[in-house]
Amino acid sequence: MGSVPRTLELFYDVLSPYSWLAFEVLCRYKNIWNVSLQLQPTLIGGIMRDSGNQPPAMLPRKAVYMRSDVRLLSQHLQVPIHFPKDFFSVILKKGSLTAMRFLTAVKMEHPEMLEKVSRELWMRVWSRDEDITEPPSILAAAEKAGMSIEQAQELLKRVSTPQVKNQLKETTEAACKYGAFGLPITVAHLHDETHMLFGSDRMELLAYLLESHGQRSLVGYGPHGCKELDTTEATQQQQQSLFSHVRRHITRDAVATTCRHF
Amino acid sequence: MGSVPRTLELFYDVLSPYSWLAFEVLCRYKNIWNVSLQLQPTLIGGIMRDSGNQPPAMLPRKAVYMRSDVRLLSQHLQVPIHFPKDFFSVILKKGSLTAMRFLTAVKMEHPEMLEKVSRELWMRVWSRAAEKAGMSIEQAQELLKRVSTPQVKNQLKETTEAACKYGAFGLPITVAHLHDETHMLFGSDRMELLAYLLGEKWMGPVPPAVNPRL
Repeated sequence: MGSVPRTLELFYDVLSPYSWLAFEVLCRYKNIWNVSLQLQPTLIGGIMRDSGNQPPAMLPRKAVYMRSDVRLLSQHLQVPIHFPKDFFSVILKKGSLTAMRFLTAVKMEHPEMLEKVSRELWMRVWSRDEDITEPPSILAAAEKAGMSIEQAQELLKRVSTPQVKNQLKETTEAACKYGAFGLPITVAHLHDETHMLFGSDRMELLAYLLESHGQRSLVGYGPHGCKELDTTEATQQQQQSLFSHVRRHITRDAVATTCRHF
Repeated sequence: MGSVPRTLELFYDVLSPYSWLAFEVLCRYKNIWNVSLQLQPTLIGGIMRDSGNQPPAMLPRKAVYMRSDVRLLSQHLQVPIHFPKDFFSVILKKGSLTAMRFLTAVKMEHPEMLEKVSRELWMRVWSRAAEKAGMSIEQAQELLKRVSTPQVKNQLKETTEAACKYGAFGLPITVAHLHDETHMLFGSDRMELLAYLLGEKWMGPVPPAVNPRL
């Protein structure tokens, strides 16, 4: 392929199920697309405070919707998400400060382990309904990811140091500067533009942006992998724009009066 | 194929750009998938009130995000949406009551025109185009008269209540009636998931077999 990989930054918090979905899809595509995936452990609580937003679950109908949305996406995207029994306690009371500081330390000291340790923390809180706030919980996740007990304990000690606390703060501020009002956000650094995309459901748009900014088309229709698509064929197929349809089939007439209200 | 088409209900409001995106994608796929698309003119203001939610644009960072999100999706989905500069200050304040009552009346009297007239209203609010749908002057004036009748007002109310019963906290919502289950999907970004639930093929937002039968 020959061209410079584009950087994708994924800002995420293990407290966020949609972050897990985005994480898994990007981990699959990082080996397929010409990109460099940078994982950025972030504190979703900090994003909420800074943006004036609140967790969607605070609105009753959104809380109900999230359950079925996450369940269906879990099936479709093949990520084993199961809602914890006491969801509100997990999300709103217990939080993720220690876990995200730990991941920050992992990134600083053993970045090659970040993906696996992140996944094991998600598996605890969002698959097996297990704690992620107590030290033994965090150590268990690190060990499951393949860290030695000594490494894990070293990193746990670093969690309360100013360096680690500041790094997590800075990453969270960086996400806020990109305009985040929630997580996950994917920041795509294309050769000439930067785009912040919110949610786990902008991956097809991301593929389109990567394709239309220089990369040979690897647009995948699906969250499991991809197939190569000939860009010329795609262009021809997409020639018929909506706009030309409208021009062909409507006539000048007087529905205008109704629209004056706008 | 031989099997009974599955019903998809699209609850939408012309005030909502994401409703337009969902509308166009479903209008493309209704001729490809084995489905029957039922358009449901709904009042987004009523959904907000009933659910206790507020328009995303009320949060500054969401308002900023929406502009670029809608712009990119407009390109990708090939729907000519242009965010009017005064959208938040003018159009959002004015609301969509008359437009949605009008579409309700169209659905009651001339359902075959509903798709075109909906699109025309979106074009008016969200696009720089100036064409009008092919509806006669007499028809338009008759319909305008009916906008403030109890029947039309009630129908819009009922449709909005139906969306609320499905759990809506915003628009668009697509309600998929499968043989054994019903699913409510929020937003214009659950179409690939919808294909998965229907057991149908997803070919991106601009599928090859786009039928120009508008």
